[in-house]
Amino acid sequence: MDKKLIRKIVIGGVMSAIAIFLGATHLGFIPWFAGASLTIMAVPVIIGAVLEGPIVGLVIGFLFGLFSLIQGAIAPTGPADVWFVNPLISILPRLFIGPAAWLVYRSLKGHVRVPALILSGIAGSLTNTVLVLAMIGFLGHLPWLMIGTIAVVNGLPEAAACAIITLAVVAAWQKIEYGRRRSDLE
Amino acid sequence: MRGFEFLQNITVGQYLPTGSILHRLHPVSKLIILFLLITAAVICSSLTGLLLGLAAALAGLALARVPLRYAFKGLRPALPFLIFLALLQIVAIPGNDVGNVLGRWWIITITTKDFLAAAVTMIRFVALILLISLFTFTASTRELTHGTEYLFKPLQKIGFPAHEFALIITLAMRFIPLLALEAERIVRAQASRGADFGRGRMSLIRRVRRMMPVLIPFFLAALRRSETMVLAMEARCYTGGKDRTKLIQFKAHMSDPIAVAIVCILCAGILAAGRMGLDMRLWHLIGG
Repeated sequence: MDKKLIRKIVIGGVMSAIAIFLGATHLGFIPWFAGASLTIMAVPVIIGAVLEGPIVGLVIGFLFGLFSLIQGAIAPTGPADVWFVNPLISILPRLFIGPAAWLVYRSLKGHVRVPALILSGIAGSLTNTVLVLAMIGFLGHLPWLMIGTIAVVNGLPEAAACAIITLAVVAAWQKIEYGRRRSDLE
Repeated sequence: MRGFEFLQNITVGQYLPTGSILHRLHPVSKLIILFLLITAAVICSSLTGLLLGLAAALAGLALARVPLRYAFKGLRPALPFLIFLALLQIVAIPGNDVGNVLGRWWIITITTKDFLAAAVTMIRFVALILLISLFTFTASTRELTHGTEYLFKPLQKIGFPAHEFALIITLAMRFIPLLALEAERIVRAQASRGADFGRGRMSLIRRVRRMMPVLIPFFLAALRRSETMVLAMEARCYTGGKDRTKLIQFKAHMSDPIAVAIVCILCAGILAAGRMGLDMRLWHLIGG
């Protein structure tokens, strides 16, 4: 089997495992005010897509969605988990995270690597936020005004957090230098 | 973040081996049945149809010999939120103003239609929760993986990587406990260097920055591990898919097509119930 294909499979599996792990242990939630929390569970999907392409991103997104569907039914950790038992909310929007992040990264990486990573992190996270919330609104679970507020108040910091982590991880992995802080040991 | 233990807090699925007739179904049948019932429950927007779906889930739980106490475990934490959601549906989402107006305060108009919509939402969620729980009670993660591979095998002819997809699921399941140990190691290491994971009032940026010393080494360790895995698989000349035999073979029985056929009829019934206008009759029956 082609080494590239093996790498795609393994990275897909490991990043899916991270997405599931971050969801199950709450490590992927950064608590904020009033019980709301930023979720960075889109990050493994984004990293998988950036490193190995849109199909791998799609698969990780699917497994991440499938797991949030199962978790919503058997071990809801927060009240909002209930929504995710509907696959239209939990699985369908998550399929687009990887391809969106990859598309942004692909179109920019030739010019500037670091902004490409930042923007693909933002694109992936916003895809998640916007599509999930749009689906919730479309199914009539929340009034649109409330959805708009959540999208802005929660979605934007979430996108920033995802972008920072994506940049830090991929840059360290591919040894891209950025910023002024560099290790003295190099 | 509380404590350093991650491994014991992870449960993916909740397989309950009771050896019932549902447990003995072929994994593919289980997946098809789950897919059909979930699709029906999501599409159906009639109260009668969803009640039928709920009855099917309860019947399934009885057939699988799962104690109802276990099955309702997932419902209990969800209940307050479901009620809140139903109230929101009644008060905030403007209905089509069909049905009798029950009350009007300020800008809020409550109609019988609102109550119907709230009931539909609640019953759909309860039915979905029970159906997914039923699936996780009767199918282990191994069956999920094998089932996926068998199910997508016909698509392999047109280039769908069924085997690779199943392998990704297997790898993910296998890696979760390893990642949990890795995360424990990193959290301990950073705590020994004085990292503070306690709760306190701090700004969002500080909260995010506080997570970095754990998350970034965690991701990098996972990537490093997967690189080792790639090397190991390649060194052993891994080839997947075609002509590969399996250690565990699942056999289909007569009960498989029968079960799938029954579920197909049931789904047709769920979807047809909305078309036949049974809702309004049911509504009049309870005095709406």
